[in-house]
Amino acid sequence: MRRLPPRAVLGPALLAALSATCGLARAQDVLLGARRIVVAADSVLDDGRVLIRQGKVAYVGSDIPAEARARARRVDYGDATVVPGFVLAAATLGQERDLAERALPFTPDLRAAEAFDPWHEDLLALPQYGVTSLALAPAPGNVAGGLAALVKTGRDRGTVGADLFVSLSLVPAARDQERPPTSLMGAVELLRSACDAARTGAATGPDAAVLRQAMQGTRSVFVYADNFAELNAALDLARDFGLRLVLVGAADAGKVLPRLAQQQVGVVLDSLGPEARLEQLQLPTRLAEAGVAFCFAGRPAQLRLSAALAVHHGLDRKTALQALTRVPAALLDQAATIGSLRQGCAADFVVFAGDPLDLGSAWVATWVDGELVHGTSPAASPGPQPAAEPAADAGVR
Amino acid sequence: MNLRLPLALLGVLTLGSALAAQQQTTVYTGARILPGGRPAIDNGVLITAGGKILVVGGASTAVPEGAVTVDCAGRTITPGLIDASFRGGAAPNDLNEQGEEVTPQVRVLDSLDPEDRSFARARAAGVTTVHVMPGTRNVIGGLGCVVKTFGSDPAAMVLKDAASLRIVMGAEPSMGNRAIRGGRVDSIYYRRPTTRMGVVWEVRKAFYEAKQALELTLGAAAPPPSPGRDVLARVLRGELTAYTTARSEQDIRTALRIAGEFGYQTVIEEAQDAYLVADQLAAAKVTVLLGAPSAAQVTGPAGADGADPRYATARMLADRGIPFVITTGSNAAALDLVREAMFAVRNGVAPAMALDAITVAPARLLGLDDRIGSLAAGKDADFVVWSHDPLDPAAVAVSVHIDGKPVTAPR
Repeated sequence: MRRLPPRAVLGPALLAALSATCGLARAQDVLLGARRIVVAADSVLDDGRVLIRQGKVAYVGSDIPAEARARARRVDYGDATVVPGFVLAAATLGQERDLAERALPFTPDLRAAEAFDPWHEDLLALPQYGVTSLALAPAPGNVAGGLAALVKTGRDRGTVGADLFVSLSLVPAARDQERPPTSLMGAVELLRSACDAARTGAATGPDAAVLRQAMQGTRSVFVYADNFAELNAALDLARDFGLRLVLVGAADAGKVLPRLAQQQVGVVLDSLGPEARLEQLQLPTRLAEAGVAFCFAGRPAQLRLSAALAVHHGLDRKTALQALTRVPAALLDQAATIGSLRQGCAADFVVFAGDPLDLGSAWVATWVDGELVHGTSPAASPGPQPAAEPAADAGVR
Repeated sequence: MNLRLPLALLGVLTLGSALAAQQQTTVYTGARILPGGRPAIDNGVLITAGGKILVVGGASTAVPEGAVTVDCAGRTITPGLIDASFRGGAAPNDLNEQGEEVTPQVRVLDSLDPEDRSFARARAAGVTTVHVMPGTRNVIGGLGCVVKTFGSDPAAMVLKDAASLRIVMGAEPSMGNRAIRGGRVDSIYYRRPTTRMGVVWEVRKAFYEAKQALELTLGAAAPPPSPGRDVLARVLRGELTAYTTARSEQDIRTALRIAGEFGYQTVIEEAQDAYLVADQLAAAKVTVLLGAPSAAQVTGPAGADGADPRYATARMLADRGIPFVITTGSNAAALDLVREAMFAVRNGVAPAMALDAITVAPARLLGLDDRIGSLAAGKDADFVVWSHDPLDPAAVAVSVHIDGKPVTAPR
């Protein structure tokens, strides 16, 4: 309610203005230039160019046709570094209350998409932390929480897309002493018997259908699990039912490293801070050495810090950047469209004054689907200029 | 066994150096060996390799070449101890699934944390194998498992994953449950049982339904599958042993009565008042788990059961020929397992029998005597080197070995 007046008054005017500029911006190609453009971890352009058309990366580097290059609006960030937009593989965006149906412990068919609030403050803050896509995930309060939704931050306050993984939880939050299950063994038994019933056809309905997709491998399964017993239980379930497993949290992942590698399980780590224990700070390096795919989630404001701290504790920079971009996109089965700036991917990128893993590098701007959503546009450069060049602060919410 | 011994020796002696490192032959000499189920061997020799026992013999036993020798002169070696009712291995809340009162299908194995401190304490006290059951807050708690006390992964520690079904009699399962007296029903604990009668009713109802389902499966209309009922059906068919916790006289009688009614095998666990119902126990041919023979009284939530423990119960069971196993049970004040056996000796049980009650007897009860519980060729190299005779109050475990590996820091 408190946000209603500005929305009611400014909303329509803002929308009209935005749609006008959007229309123009979308119509014209953008030639993005910078001292360093990280297209993907293994493809870095020095003094490179990327041509953006209709919100997507149309051409990269020398592939750009001369004609398109000449016609495009130039956006040159000079000495800056451009990296793919960060992807949060699991986030609740401060909406935990709306993302766990507490009356029942087992709700695998609920859709987080229904809880998406485009006006949520946490969502609006994401672009300045470099986040351009995220999986809005059911909160860990339910043993089977539901389906996560792909959300893109952006000028029109974020859009919600496809249903992604099914979210399960074995952490203490899911073991409520006032409703079943109250124990870890009860939670495991609940999941095991539900999977059994879905497999044999004894259970029908949308919840069983979701579990069947998980067992057939068409839908990945993210499980909140932190300590050794929880991680082991999740790994056992994945082994017994053929689930494509990704562990969320996984504070004790170091204790199950061989199993993670052997079962090809992905890990979504909580963000790191200076207060983290040495064991946590070294975990990314140990996961990388064991060949386990991992990414950072947790507090969006600490994503860069997490990657930088991991690098400080032995992780190589390439892997650290991938843990913010390509790996989370791949864990969400969305690597074809987000997580890199390869041809055909969405033009989601973040501009930093220098190396993004150097915390001294200032954040400059965040673009989503080829549009500046937050930050500053570089000074106008020579070349054909559109009639309505967005103002420098056009992306400020 | 005689055939296996030379073969095993030959195998070890002819293996390549890489494998030999893994299968290091170790010889423990000079100790008094109490092998379990056999007479003691003074100045004995114990040879292990590859996690198994190769030889247990006297001083003249041939020692293989290249073996590492550990001098244990003055020490006593026993099999690793087995606690047939061990409360631990996970956080207390994770040992009880309180969503319902009857949860036969939940497996305590799913809650086990190998790093739980209770395992380290058990190891330090010479306990190498434990039988963990779900807690005592439910009427039918679920499936117990047998695990070794050392390992990095529950799956690697498991000897038996569905070893028992825990049933609890008495006042404890009804605690915390409430009757609806108007007002808002805002908790799952507004439910039966709130009395001892209610507890018995829950057990009888569960087994009645399981039995009915069993009979129905013989007909045309099979009932829908139910994981809980399937477990109870295994108990009814004699494939799984029930462990009924019954402390007071009336609860022991009830436990025996219900088992008789449905015709299933049960072990009476924590039978503090066993001395009052010896005739019935003998007639029913059940094994009694004596939870903490050192207990002078039952405290904690189980105190409401009204049991009146006596120190002489173990001796009385021994005299009557009723098979018994000494455990620590759910008594928070229980001493180390070996001290509980010592306590039984102090109250009249023969030392050999007391030691058997924490080694061979629980191994046999759990159906694992082919692997653990005694020292003989081919069995798991789970053993304890004690500073004194283990039943001496001064005895401490100098080193504890599981599958041949020392699992405690040197003293």
